[in-house]
Amino acid sequence: MRTRICEMLNIKYPIFQGGMAWVSTYHLAAAVSEAGGLGIIAAGNADAEYVREQIKRIRQITDKPFGVNVMLLSPYVDEVMNVIIEERVPVITTGAGNPGKYIRALKEAGTKIIPVVPSVALAKKMEKDGVDGVIAEGTESGGHIGELTTMCLVPQVVDAVTIPVIAAGGIADGRGMLAAFALGAEGVQIGTRFVCSEECTVHLNYKNAIISAKDRDAVASGRSTGHPIRCLKNKLTREFDKLEEQRAPKEDIEKLGIGALRRAVIEGDVDKGSVMAGQISGLIKDIKPCKEIIEDLIKDYQNTLNKLRG
Amino acid sequence: MIFEKVKERISDILGVDADEVTMESSFMDDLGADSLDVVELIMALEEEFEIEIPDEEAEKIQTVGDVVEYIKEHTDM
Repeated sequence: MRTRICEMLNIKYPIFQGGMAWVSTYHLAAAVSEAGGLGIIAAGNADAEYVREQIKRIRQITDKPFGVNVMLLSPYVDEVMNVIIEERVPVITTGAGNPGKYIRALKEAGTKIIPVVPSVALAKKMEKDGVDGVIAEGTESGGHIGELTTMCLVPQVVDAVTIPVIAAGGIADGRGMLAAFALGAEGVQIGTRFVCSEECTVHLNYKNAIISAKDRDAVASGRSTGHPIRCLKNKLTREFDKLEEQRAPKEDIEKLGIGALRRAVIEGDVDKGSVMAGQISGLIKDIKPCKEIIEDLIKDYQNTLNKLRG
Repeated sequence: MIFEKVKERISDILGVDADEVTMESSFMDDLGADSLDVVELIMALEEEFEIEIPDEEAEKIQTVGDVVEYIKEHTDM
């Protein structure tokens, strides 16, 4: 299953670990990179010093390539980009917007740029701007989501661009990975499955909430704000629903979300915190090391492929 | 002339009546576009008028008038 992504990034398996704010620390990213995938540190809304420290730490543990995910709506986005350029981070992924104005400086630093795109138009625009690949992320994902499903978005993006496409959203095992490859993807990005890894530092309550989640538990909130978020159903999501039913102002809905992710990830408050997770949560039944997650994915991928060949 | 062409593309891409589109219309506030619609629209206009709108400039575009002005300044039309 070596693809252009493996060659380009010098990684063994075309498997990215999603950049999840508060969740994707250097511990998780290092474990995934060591296991042959691409570990990704999430910058989220953190400042430049946090990001620089994370980059230093991961380099102490592994000499394998890694990435940093930059959330473009962050108030610190400019200074975080500067750190990435100064530190010559091998790969950057971006979310929540158009990274166009940073592309030239990143390329000069030798950083590979792989933005998350929720639409064909943005994928084409990114290719024109010279990025190295795109992550086509479906609405099955956890956290900030777009409208289209992975099944519909991936083949349309694959047909629209010539650069490699990484599929994200709804993938947690080898079957999902193979399906993504059938749609034309040359890599997958996986988030929720890696949250339930031994190396991930989130509160145990958070991991257990994913493990006990069933098929319909990961719901989208805040559609009226224009920035919907997928989380596991709890008191907080019900509160969001209530505000939306009352057609509360956007500001009130957004205010309810402030600090909610930290509450779940760090304090383990899975009732009133924001337990961001994808629709595939229902498929995840255990906590295991990243290496095992990746090896199982590959094994399962091969077995499924053999079965299809008959 | 430019405005007529721009209006047509906007009406196609955003699915709004051409009559609703004025120089003062804001893409997001009046025409119901989101940021992804704006990306698509700008790409279509770049193609149509054979120009490049850099991201720094595209960020400043809020209204139909903004984009018409930009095209006017950067083409011979």
